[in-house]
Amino acid sequence: MVCALTFAEPQRLWWLLLLPLLLWLALPPQPRRHAFTAHLAQWQAAHAALRRRPPRLAGLRFLLLALAATAAIGAHAAPQWRSGDGPRRLVVLLDASASMGARRADGTSAFAAASALLRERLAALPPQVDVTVLRCGGPRLRRQGASARMLQDLGRPEGALDVDLPALAAAVAAPDTAVWTLTDGQAQAALPVVGALSCLPATGPNAALLAVRVVDRWPLPQLSLSADLVLFAAAPRTGELRVAGAVAAAVPTRVELTPGVPLTIDVELARTAAGGVLELSLAVTGDVLPDDDVWRADLPALPAPRIAVLTDAEAGPFAAVAAQALAVEVGGTVTAASPGAEVGLLLVDGGTAAIVPGQVRALCFGCRLDAAVEVVPWLQPRVADWDRQSPLTAGLDLSELRLAAAFRGVLPPGEAFLWADDDGGVRTPLAVVVDGGDTASVHFAFRLQDGNLPLLAAFPQLLRRAFVRCHGTAAAITVMTPTTATGEQDLQSAASAEDRPLPGFPTPDRELAAPCLLLGLLALALRAFVR
Amino acid sequence: MTRVPPLPVVPPRYPAPFRTLLHDLLARGGRMRSGRVDQQRARRAVLSHSGTFVGHRPYVHGDDPRRIDWAACARTGELFVKQFEEERRRTATLVLDLSASLLVGAPPRRLAALRLAAVVGGLALRHLDGVTVVAPGAGAAALATFAGAGDLDALLHHLDELPVVASAPEAAIPLVLSRGMSGHLHWISDFADPARFELPLAALRRRGASITGWLPALPEDRDVPRQGYVRVQDPETGAVLAVAVDAALAAAMRRQLELLQRRQDRLFAQFGCPLVRWQAPAAAEYGIVAWQEIVAWCAR
Repeated sequence: MVCALTFAEPQRLWWLLLLPLLLWLALPPQPRRHAFTAHLAQWQAAHAALRRRPPRLAGLRFLLLALAATAAIGAHAAPQWRSGDGPRRLVVLLDASASMGARRADGTSAFAAASALLRERLAALPPQVDVTVLRCGGPRLRRQGASARMLQDLGRPEGALDVDLPALAAAVAAPDTAVWTLTDGQAQAALPVVGALSCLPATGPNAALLAVRVVDRWPLPQLSLSADLVLFAAAPRTGELRVAGAVAAAVPTRVELTPGVPLTIDVELARTAAGGVLELSLAVTGDVLPDDDVWRADLPALPAPRIAVLTDAEAGPFAAVAAQALAVEVGGTVTAASPGAEVGLLLVDGGTAAIVPGQVRALCFGCRLDAAVEVVPWLQPRVADWDRQSPLTAGLDLSELRLAAAFRGVLPPGEAFLWADDDGGVRTPLAVVVDGGDTASVHFAFRLQDGNLPLLAAFPQLLRRAFVRCHGTAAAITVMTPTTATGEQDLQSAASAEDRPLPGFPTPDRELAAPCLLLGLLALALRAFVR
Repeated sequence: MTRVPPLPVVPPRYPAPFRTLLHDLLARGGRMRSGRVDQQRARRAVLSHSGTFVGHRPYVHGDDPRRIDWAACARTGELFVKQFEEERRRTATLVLDLSASLLVGAPPRRLAALRLAAVVGGLALRHLDGVTVVAPGAGAAALATFAGAGDLDALLHHLDELPVVASAPEAAIPLVLSRGMSGHLHWISDFADPARFELPLAALRRRGASITGWLPALPEDRDVPRQGYVRVQDPETGAVLAVAVDAALAAAMRRQLELLQRRQDRLFAQFGCPLVRWQAPAAAEYGIVAWQEIVAWCAR
């Protein structure tokens, strides 16, 4: 049973504890006593002679004062009169998983139909009903109050439904809370049995791009794509895999899709130097869910750098040769290093160069960054190991690397990927990479002429990888399409149930603060007349 | 909230110390005023054994030895006194106010009034031929007559048994007149509302009654609480008045009490009657001094 009288701010009723103080203040002065007298007429005459009004009805006066105080405190606690039983709160569980983007027979998506239904019903709700909308599937969002009624910024259907809707509906439902679930039944074993239910099924054939793998050969233009396709339909269908965007013209690939059988298609592409959005799409006739047919990625522009070489007097030809080879490979040019000249990569071999680590795309070999720093020669350091996971050295064989000398103190703080055994078995970095986001610099503790690194077979690869690493995140492909949601592609079978309507909501509560204040004023006015 | 206390309880009216005191008073009393002049003459006739002999009765302590019938004593060996039926009896009448307003005071005014009645009645039994007790509102006990010193115990018992009842002063008129105007009339009351006594006093005076008003005075008749919150209640009507007493109100109340005393005095003065304010002693005070004033007044 719901109590008809409620308080929005019941904690303010603690002020009622002041009533005893009021009673104490209203008590007559001490001493208080009762006496029988044969001279009541004389007492009355004495009172009349002094024009005093006897404090009659003191109890009633206090009762009126207490009533006024109670009414004022009651008004402060925001009393409300509930006109009827019924839920005071509505929680909407809106399925916004990827499958809700499927087109229905009328051409609209299930999500659009659910949104339209929500707007219509929420507009008809009494204003005092507290509405909460929970987006289930994809990014979980919660909207409360006015923003819930406006369905503000609920996004588009995407992602998997990773919520157990029946359990959630059962958990949310309460005597004063109604639950309304809107779903297409996709990827669910059963639909909620608690609360209202609106089932918006959108069934039909659907082909999807399950995954796209990319092999990027940046700074080279070659790009390899490997796309996994799948078809959920009653019969095999033929489709086209189309490539568009920042690549050289590519011919659509015709694909024969068998229902339920994944198909992998490899595509070799040549990207444009300017970069841009690459779009891979699968076109199948009758596909009701086009959202999972497209894969998009943002390709960075190909570098066309000017490579500058800075060597000391003792340097051999290795740096210049390496720069030339690298320029040929990436389509760049080798320029002379001069103060103020802007270059894409600075290759330094020995000597001293005022380079801020991580802020300049530089590849330094035995280069001292600060002339004030004293470097200590390190004769015949023995290469101990290299990082097998680093993008710089993964898969390379540096076991033949021999060094005649290196320098201690020339490496800035950074992520080491090559180490030497120091005295006592301690590993000391021989090379580090300093990451600055879009830029990075790679530093070696030895000069090229002090070892056999330029002669190793891994050197060109290491050089190209260092070039890529120096470009940091600027060289990375950004995939714009979210990961394909599991279980959201097969639109042939979905859980279904009979729609259940929303329960009736009570009419708005009646605010009793004003009547309480009026009652308090009335009590005070009446008290003024009670003497 | 102020709790309403019960009405004060009147302590034992006539304990043994008081009875001893009463006998002492009666033994010392010289005489008592009877009433009109013709009654004085009748008294002399009684003293000379005049009137019609109606019989004997046993002698009791306090009887006049001159009334002993020695011949009868010689015949029977016991003391008897002669009883005569006088032409005019020499008596006194006591009118008692039994209203609840006399329960006020510490000790209650009613205690002083009943003991005052016992002294006056005892004097009448001792020195006159009898006393009539008129208690308006007391039902069957409203009118009682006692004769001879031997009736003193009966008188005390009668007074002790009188209830607390509310009655108007006018109710005393028919009771007094029903026995004729027998002797001097002693009206014992607090005379709290003097105006209510005008009519009965005037009626009795027109019929030639000689009246003395007795007002057992209490400290409450003069003293007023100096401060505090007091709920005063009339025990007779139950009316209540809550007053916050301060110096000004206490002074005004004292003026009202003085005015009441003047009204009471004027009431009796206008009918040519004395009003005796007898300062009642404490309940357990049995010194003879405080009571001799009554004897002296009765002898005037």
